[in-house]
Amino acid sequence: MADQANFEQDAMQYASQLYSAALRMTRNPADAEDVVQETFLKAYRAYDSFTEGTNLKAWLYRILTNTYINKYRKKQRRPSEVELGELQDLYLYKRLGEHSGARESAEDEALDMFVDEDIIEALESLPENFRLPVLYADVEGFSYKEIAEILDVPIGTVMSRLHRGRKALQRKLWNVAVDHGLVESDE
Amino acid sequence: MNGCENAIEYVYQYLDDELTVSRSARIKWHLKRCGHCTDAFTFETLLKERIAAGGKTAPPEELFDTLRALIEQERNTGDSDC
Repeated sequence: MADQANFEQDAMQYASQLYSAALRMTRNPADAEDVVQETFLKAYRAYDSFTEGTNLKAWLYRILTNTYINKYRKKQRRPSEVELGELQDLYLYKRLGEHSGARESAEDEALDMFVDEDIIEALESLPENFRLPVLYADVEGFSYKEIAEILDVPIGTVMSRLHRGRKALQRKLWNVAVDHGLVESDE
Repeated sequence: MNGCENAIEYVYQYLDDELTVSRSARIKWHLKRCGHCTDAFTFETLLKERIAAGGKTAPPEELFDTLRALIEQERNTGDSDC
């Protein structure tokens, strides 16, 4: 049992990360603040049901995710899985490799051309089913088991969404690079 | 399945540190002998780091004060019920 009096001290360290995740979910600063505020309020009220010594960060993210879904999912169109299609493995690496020819480690250098806004644009473009697992694994550094608990889905579902979501992210990053004139499209 | 196909199939689970010790060791063994896969793994590692660094946004400064005030208000509301 966690003591409600300690909530602020225990939870405040995660506020920055929770806000950042909420912003990637809602894509809007005002909505992100609302979601984080509601998350903190719910977490504070429920804090005596949290088992001390277990994973507080994952517990807070679960509340954040549920808050976001209850509040905003209704408004969104259902993501179509078809539009992701089947993409080859190592999509971005291969596209950049084809593009840069034989120059060694040109693919690694190519990553420097992306500014933070490009990464954010690509992440926020993903359909929600894929965006949340990718966000939790790649940005927040959660394990598959933690993501399964946060999203309340089986671990196999996390792995398949993560796999497809990352491919979609790589395709989007390639498109962003083309759109912004960072690479010339040969199509 | 050859060593390269096996390594690429598990690249993300390897980087996410989600493989069993033996499977992970087998991939490490392959990477020591395969420059192509090592290059690909290096790229995916850097990409993952780039996404982690670029995907975060700092909150507005006043968020922390807002959250503290919110909890304080809730605490007082709770007390008055007693």
